[in-house]
Amino acid sequence: MNPTRVFVIAAAMAPILVWSCVVQAAEIPSPELSISTAIDRLLQESHDRAGIVPARRTDDRSLLRRTTLDLAGRIPTSAEILAYEQDSASERQLRLVDRLMSAADYAIHLRNELDAMLSAGGNSPQEWKDYLLKACEENQPWDETFRELLAPDQNLDDQRGAAHFLKSRLNDLDDLTNDTSSLLLGVSINCAKCHDHPLVEDWKQDHYFGLQAFLAQTYQTRSGRLAEKPPTELNFKTTSGVEKSARLMFLTGATVTAPEDKRTDEQKKADAEMVRNQREKEGLAPPDELEFSPRKEFVKLALDPANRTFMARSIINRTWARLMGRGLVHPVDQMHSGNPSNHPVLLDWLERDFIDHGFDLSRLIRGIVLSDAYARSSQWVYDTPAPPADQFAVAAIKPLTPQQLTVSLIVATMNPEKIPATDFQQSGVDPNIWKSFRTELEKKASGTARLLEYPGENFQISVTEALLFNNAAQIQNNYLKSSDERLVSFLSNQWKTQQTQEDLHARSMDSLIQTTFEIVFTRRAEEDEVSMFRNYLLERNERLPEAFQQMLWAMITSPEFRFNY
Amino acid sequence: MSLFSQGQWPTRIPPHNGLRGIETASQLRDGTSRRGFLKASLAGTAFAASMHQLDILQSPALASELKRQQKHVILIWLAGGASQLETWDPKPGRATGGPFAAIQTNVTGVSISELLPKMSQRMHHSAIIRSLNTKNADHGGAAKIMETGRAVDQGIPCPDLGAMIAHELGRADSQVPDYVSMYSSTEGRRQGGSGFLGGRYAPMFLTEQMIPENTSRLESLSELDHSARSDLRSFLANRFREGRPDLSVDSHNSAYQRVRGIMSSANLFNIELEPMDVRARYGPTQFGEQCLIARRLVEAGVPFVKVARAWWDSHGQNFETHLELVTELDHVLATLIDDLEERGLLEHTLIATFGEFGRTPQINSSLGRDHFASAWSASLHGTGIRGGSVYGKTDADGLKVIDGEVNAADLFATIFQAIGIDYRKEYHVGARPVPITDFGGKPIRDILL
Amino acid sequence: MGRITQLKPLSDISTPEINLAITRSVVSLADNQRIMVVGNSAGQLVEFDFSSQNSTSEKAKSEKPTSRPFESGHSSYVTGVGSTKGGIVSVGYDRKMIWWDPLERTVLREIVAHDKWIRRIAVSPDGTTIATVADDMHCKLWNAISGELMFVLDDHQPVTPHHYPSMLYAVAFSASGEQLATGDKVGHIAIWETQTGRKLGELESPGMYTWDPKARRHSIGGIRSLAFSHSGSSIAVGGIGAIGNVDHLDGPARVEIFDWQQAKSLVQLSDTAMKGLVEQLHFSNDDSQLITAGGDNNGFITIYDLATNKIDVQAKAHQHLHGMIVDEASQRLYAAHHGKVSMWELQDQPVA
Repeated sequence: MNPTRVFVIAAAMAPILVWSCVVQAAEIPSPELSISTAIDRLLQESHDRAGIVPARRTDDRSLLRRTTLDLAGRIPTSAEILAYEQDSASERQLRLVDRLMSAADYAIHLRNELDAMLSAGGNSPQEWKDYLLKACEENQPWDETFRELLAPDQNLDDQRGAAHFLKSRLNDLDDLTNDTSSLLLGVSINCAKCHDHPLVEDWKQDHYFGLQAFLAQTYQTRSGRLAEKPPTELNFKTTSGVEKSARLMFLTGATVTAPEDKRTDEQKKADAEMVRNQREKEGLAPPDELEFSPRKEFVKLALDPANRTFMARSIINRTWARLMGRGLVHPVDQMHSGNPSNHPVLLDWLERDFIDHGFDLSRLIRGIVLSDAYARSSQWVYDTPAPPADQFAVAAIKPLTPQQLTVSLIVATMNPEKIPATDFQQSGVDPNIWKSFRTELEKKASGTARLLEYPGENFQISVTEALLFNNAAQIQNNYLKSSDERLVSFLSNQWKTQQTQEDLHARSMDSLIQTTFEIVFTRRAEEDEVSMFRNYLLERNERLPEAFQQMLWAMITSPEFRFNY
Repeated sequence: MSLFSQGQWPTRIPPHNGLRGIETASQLRDGTSRRGFLKASLAGTAFAASMHQLDILQSPALASELKRQQKHVILIWLAGGASQLETWDPKPGRATGGPFAAIQTNVTGVSISELLPKMSQRMHHSAIIRSLNTKNADHGGAAKIMETGRAVDQGIPCPDLGAMIAHELGRADSQVPDYVSMYSSTEGRRQGGSGFLGGRYAPMFLTEQMIPENTSRLESLSELDHSARSDLRSFLANRFREGRPDLSVDSHNSAYQRVRGIMSSANLFNIELEPMDVRARYGPTQFGEQCLIARRLVEAGVPFVKVARAWWDSHGQNFETHLELVTELDHVLATLIDDLEERGLLEHTLIATFGEFGRTPQINSSLGRDHFASAWSASLHGTGIRGGSVYGKTDADGLKVIDGEVNAADLFATIFQAIGIDYRKEYHVGARPVPITDFGGKPIRDILL
Repeated sequence: MGRITQLKPLSDISTPEINLAITRSVVSLADNQRIMVVGNSAGQLVEFDFSSQNSTSEKAKSEKPTSRPFESGHSSYVTGVGSTKGGIVSVGYDRKMIWWDPLERTVLREIVAHDKWIRRIAVSPDGTTIATVADDMHCKLWNAISGELMFVLDDHQPVTPHHYPSMLYAVAFSASGEQLATGDKVGHIAIWETQTGRKLGELESPGMYTWDPKARRHSIGGIRSLAFSHSGSSIAVGGIGAIGNVDHLDGPARVEIFDWQQAKSLVQLSDTAMKGLVEQLHFSNDDSQLITAGGDNNGFITIYDLATNKIDVQAKAHQHLHGMIVDEASQRLYAAHHGKVSMWELQDQPVA
């Protein structure tokens, strides 16, 4: 039983204010603070109130792994581990974060995450992926991305791809309405379709259909262009059976009035015919844009200072959830008065900072990963019960996404000598070499990634995945094979060259085990691990390449590899 | 707020009649139950009483009792939408009736289409529902409704029938899969899924081949090494789990622990191992062979098997299409019932047949019938149902339901009830309660034992 | 006697039923009497009198044909009607064959003729022999007058290669009445000697079988129509060609013509402009043209020039066309449609 659930049940039982004692109106700290300082200060206040002592800071190696997975979408390379070690302890994390955020990996990974968040599932088109990648590379302000997702200027090459967000949902107006609301505003309002929202006083059917009315005129022409058809009335039935026509209404209740429709019946007929032709016939000139575009009105309203809190808090909360394993408001599509955050002041502070700094997503990401809260251990080794997840006092354990996992698999099982240097700022290596290597990794990973499930809430690994890793030829061939490109060959060759004297036998094996742990787990092996693997490998002295494969297999299929912890 | 008002709690979670759900991940993940409970109980005695009740109802003893009974469900999914008029609700002699006659069954007063002669002699094991009105007649939307039992999109991915039953009846340590889904034709192929219940309850999905993928060891790896490297993995996994009580991590380990069991059960999919006379009974069609696999799986303890027979979407030539497909359905379903009965499995197994919708009474000018969700039929056979019963009625032409209208939620509640799952059970997804049966769904008592 | 030059709709009448079969009533004693008997989905036979359309007055031409139902007889769709020396005979999904008094429109005799659904009837040109085909996969030859069963002709497999029930849809006599041919769902054709019941040969038209092995795993189609040329040397079979999506009749209207004695396929005709099943086939009186008719949702009549194998004349024909007869001079065509019965003029200058 977690506190959020307690809240709902309690709220349901009677007007009992369970949380009034928890959520005290604290003063919002100064905007001058850094994001990480604000996060740590406000969380600490919350911990103090609740009598929680958070988990210790995690060790440097696991923080390196965590940060690299979150910012680069993969595990660190040996060269990165070395560079990290060489930085002074006090500056390591800062330098790592800045280095990762300026590398090609950052935009690629952020693009992947945004794609997963915004796509309706399935393979999204390249045009859309390219659009997101460019937005990430240029760190486009989020309000601009928001505008382009909902009202792209399709005459501009670099915005056309954004139309996929709407286009992929046009065959179901309910999906379109709810996805827009839930993914971009943090509010799943479909419960309000058939009746006023059962959990949230704020939302009535008027809001659902009000939101839908903004989108109901949008359609796609045969040539694949988004367009809006002239108005048609959207009616809905209330629970009492009254037929109502929907007004253009935002979640806050703010409305826009469409100009009066003065078309004659003939004009309406001609318009309907025009829309039909646009939908069905190829080669027509794009339809004229409406003078009054409900969808653009929606964007205007959503970005209006009076209403923009929804779009801002939604992306802040989703970004927080991605990095911290759980939203400040949980679930992330339930950001409403019936489901308040346990850290309302923090959310307010982050919102102000985000807006004041031009909806800068990278600034927010950087702030979060530099906080102490982000750097906590995921292990709770004390006798007392672990603090609740929504206190962020213990680091969350996050399943890797299919792409993160697969790219990491390639890196972990690659011959380390074949991986180009990443630390170009120091060594003067052409950054394009890494960029093209990283882009290639992305492509190579997609085959296996497609076979894996994207983690959602309460994610569970299926036996299908375990069977795949156990028995599929492609796992063996892609990652474990003895070839010049792969780690298994590297280990075998090392063994051959190192093994000169009998008494070095065990010692050189230990060093290979350590190398493997560094590469795969970003850490050194403990003594019991070394002895376990040493025995395993030496017993199979006659067929060491196979034994190395089995060691590697056990490591890449272990939870330590499967999760970002 | 009415759904959660105090007055409704007793009816939603009765004190002694039913089982409280296995909690979903979010409640277990952080181990805060005691804290949460203590804090909440300060809020008022009414609440504390409810919590107390919940604890009793979560008794593992009751849950295991249900599982011991070893109930199974085989869903024969008639993908594309089979015609109720050519199966369970014939209207001979009416303009909408089509050319086929109705035949008297072995239950007095119950007639079905003449295309089901074998089933007509097995109505004592069968119940027919003739009054489904599921409103959505679009393949995708309707399939979603009939897969999940939920008419309105919940804004969260909801589990399908198989995943819910796998969750209720599957055993954590099971050596066999909990949910096997076969959909070999490509048209309208839908994988289904476990939604918020998580990958543990996702179907083992068979498409191209009848034996599931990756269930046999690569030849390059010896049996010994396959098992030894798993031990290495367990060693690393156990170290990692220290101090990390996380349900996702646990699911990862249990998935790997189940691998060898599943591999050893791969033979269940190999019908070559059945005697020739048994194979001959089911016949040589793919659907027949899949139903034979379904029987083998159920016999081995698999709680839920779905066999999708596609594609019934007879917009043209409805009668020719049904002559082919209903003839096959009649034969295979009758064989399956007989086989289960002879093995003593029918008293533990429920067979359900339905698809996303039925077909229009109106016959179009290609002698086809189109999509129709307002008045169509489903059938249930085997455990928990009252044999020979017929529920609901459509008008003379089959245009609308005139008695006993039911929807997808009612059908699901009926299935749950028939196999001993409390249809009032709730899951919790984060803060949201999601009932196992969609709001308002009630079992059709008239056709249940 | 002339060449077919047009497809001019002369008259039609809408019905609530699906009209599945049509024959010219033996009541039409005079040449200018045009009384047709139609079998429909209500299990009825209905007489339609198109005679008024002979009048030259425009008013008479625009009148609808009069219709009179027969007394009830069948309990399901009537799939075949034929005119014999003795009257009208009909068959249907109720497995019955019924002999009717054409004047009184009453039942003379009825028998259960097959074990499964009867698909079609053919009457020998001299009106003395009846052939019926049904999904029990038998073709039965009957004495039209006495009703005596003369032969049961078996050459069609009851199950398809994919283990589903097959269907025996088509049967036709040659012009001389000496031969008879039958065609089934998988495209198998058998040719028989009427006098002896002996099989004379067989042909295969596998393109008529539309099994979809992957996406939908079922089939529609099959040989739905069959005709001998007047010369007796050719057999045409009709159905539907390869369909992408067997949910619909969205495939080419397909015809294959054989020299049956040489067991040789002469030509395959396929039309995607007017698609669907070829339900009816008829060689023009000089064998220079082939009239094909059927449809998907819509009906079509397509006439091929057999010298070039090109379409000569084509018309959209109301809704899906199930039944058709053409008079001896190839002047008029009568059709039974989904919800309609129609009459067409085939030549520019018809004989008065």
